[in-house]
Amino acid sequence: MTLFHFFNCAILTFGPHAVYYSATPLSEYDTLGTSVKAAVVYLATALVKLVCLATFLQVSETEVFDPYQEALKAMIGFIDVAGLYFALAQLTHRNISQNHKFQAVGLGWAFADSVLHRLAPLWVGARGLEFTWDYVLQGLEANANLVFTISLAALGSLMWLRKNKPKTLIPIIYTCAVIIATMPSITSYLRRVMGWHFPKVVGFELMTSLVMAFISCQLFILCQRPSL
Amino acid sequence: MAEEKNSKQRHHRSMFLESMYPVVALMLVLVACVELCDAATVVDVYRLIQYDISGAPFGSRFSSLNHHAASLSFQHGADLSRSVLILPLRELDIAFVQDYISQKQSLGGLLILLPQTFRPGNIGGGETQGLRILLAQLEKLLLHGNIPFPVYFAFENEETDTMLADVKKNDALGQQATATTGGYKLVISVSEPRKIASPTITNIQGWLPGSRADGDSNQLSTIAVVASYDTFGAAPALSVGSDSNGSGVVALLEVARLFSTLYSNPKTRGRYNLLFALTSGGPYNYEGTQKWLKSLDQRMRESIDYAICLNSVGSWDNELLVHVSKPPENAYIKQIFEGFSNVAEDLGFQVSLKHKKINISNSRVAWEHEQFSRLRVTAATVSELLTPPELLESAGSLSDTRQHVNEDSIIKGVKLVAESLARHIYGHQGKDIQIFADNSSLAVNRFYVKSWLDGLSQTPRVAPFLSKNEPLIMALKKELEDYTAEVSIQQESLDGIFTFYDSTKASLNIYQVASVTFDLLLLLVLGSYLIMLFSFLVITTRGLDDLISIFRRPPSRKMKIA
Repeated sequence: MTLFHFFNCAILTFGPHAVYYSATPLSEYDTLGTSVKAAVVYLATALVKLVCLATFLQVSETEVFDPYQEALKAMIGFIDVAGLYFALAQLTHRNISQNHKFQAVGLGWAFADSVLHRLAPLWVGARGLEFTWDYVLQGLEANANLVFTISLAALGSLMWLRKNKPKTLIPIIYTCAVIIATMPSITSYLRRVMGWHFPKVVGFELMTSLVMAFISCQLFILCQRPSL
Repeated sequence: MAEEKNSKQRHHRSMFLESMYPVVALMLVLVACVELCDAATVVDVYRLIQYDISGAPFGSRFSSLNHHAASLSFQHGADLSRSVLILPLRELDIAFVQDYISQKQSLGGLLILLPQTFRPGNIGGGETQGLRILLAQLEKLLLHGNIPFPVYFAFENEETDTMLADVKKNDALGQQATATTGGYKLVISVSEPRKIASPTITNIQGWLPGSRADGDSNQLSTIAVVASYDTFGAAPALSVGSDSNGSGVVALLEVARLFSTLYSNPKTRGRYNLLFALTSGGPYNYEGTQKWLKSLDQRMRESIDYAICLNSVGSWDNELLVHVSKPPENAYIKQIFEGFSNVAEDLGFQVSLKHKKINISNSRVAWEHEQFSRLRVTAATVSELLTPPELLESAGSLSDTRQHVNEDSIIKGVKLVAESLARHIYGHQGKDIQIFADNSSLAVNRFYVKSWLDGLSQTPRVAPFLSKNEPLIMALKKELEDYTAEVSIQQESLDGIFTFYDSTKASLNIYQVASVTFDLLLLLVLGSYLIMLFSFLVITTRGLDDLISIFRRPPSRKMKIA
């Protein structure tokens, strides 16, 4: 019953995106176009990142944590942030409120990320007879990633789209954004240097995503108050 | 206006989707072609031989396998017809296997795990005498039974050990591994075995001519040294037959080497021709030897004074036996035996003569020399075996590995045969001369013996599965070419009562599978998670009323219409 397992893992990986879209007011305001545009921007960003990684990074045979390589990877990771900025600020969207804009952009971004990174391994691996927990864990990771992306989009919209912010909150906003943006480096550090196994890493990601979501939610509400 | 725009948009969208259909279809086709198999563990397995004798089936009749694994700790009365029973040799219960086969109970398959010491090429290993006896018994049982399920042999390694431990634990808890309870699944996907159309047996002969004195018009006499090189065992891919008859082949090659050194110098060339033959078809009533003899020129056959056949000379200590079919009182036999016993006395061991009459009406040929005797050629077999082996026994079983063959025994055997032949050829019978003395230029080469023995102990040699240009046959031919003047190969087809089936080696994929109940449970959990997520999001973004209104929409609409 391995197609069954594939189906299970697929709904774990991609279900939350669909649920998020239909449950929140996003579906009422028909923001699908925004999400699709965000997905396309993600694709372009991924291509640019690929080229940069291929040019600047050296492939090491062993799984050794090289700080310079990791720093380089983190810097290239900031291209992600640039892409997100482009999607949020530069693209023209229909008249949708800022509240919904960052959600739609974050959703499209996270969906494209899941599809690109997780669909192929899922299709090839989860259909086999052999059972592993890997694909379920991968689905959980996709969930955490969705929360991260939406939080990052929220913080991004706060940083770039909102002009009047309380001065005290600005450093907090920036630190949170930096933490979320460097999440991949943090997880690879945990996996290689600390030797954490995949389940532990995924658990850490889920917890951090919830914490970050809560913090960014609070920040968003706090920033919204003066304009009200 | 808005409606027109909407319909146009819809039209564009449908056209776009339609144009996507062929692309989507192509992608689906491409993607479906991706291979599904990606097992965590792949093990080499070797199938039990499948053969017919005059149409009567023997051995394992099936080859492909796709069942769950079970171990001996299963509950009594459990149905194993869709399971593969994993039996490690160390815990084998012969009576149990015998019951299963004789009562014709259905079993999905049998996987026998052998310790690594039985692997060809594995020199090390502890004391395995008890295991060897058990293995021999098991082999006999499997070879002579008609088994309606696949039987495979594999060597123990870490992965099989962990799998077996897991399976035992599950079985002890009473959870029979089926499609709904998970466990391990063993898959061997090979095609059904087919008959081997016309198996060939290849005989290799080398001819070393003697020197004729000037003016001597008589044909020189010939002495033949013969050994059969092929094997037969329960697992044809593992039948290396170190003792039966790898030791005989090595002894023959060494004797050929020694005499080729002697004969290379015209001054020391004897007045006898030497004929060395490596025959095939040994386990099948020495069919190859018979065909080879019949193919010989009649004059050549009549010129053979006597033939020495070598069969299993690798693991004896003090006594070697000379088996004959002519009565011991026969002058030739007496002469041959005296020659042997004189040399044996000098070398410090014993030879005994054993006589077994040939029963012409019985088609069973127990020793190779009997084929010679049936064609009126004097012959004897030098062997360590006391009794003649049964049909298809002592021909290279799984327990016949390199560790239990002693080079010293082979060297003693070589010395015996070479010295007695040389004393006969050069007329030094009864004299106290050692022609092939140690530390001389004609000494028996220990390294030669060891290297050929090692090589043969890693080469399975079941005749029907050897191709016409098998590397082994080419190597033996080349070796004889180095030592003799003329080498010829005779290839015949193995007809008669034996039929063989292919598919001797396969790869076993071991999958750890989850049960259907697990998948259903996971689906339930995921479904409830998504529903919870949905409700949570609706509540937080739109409020609790909206959530309730989603479930109450139909009635409210009806009320509105009304």
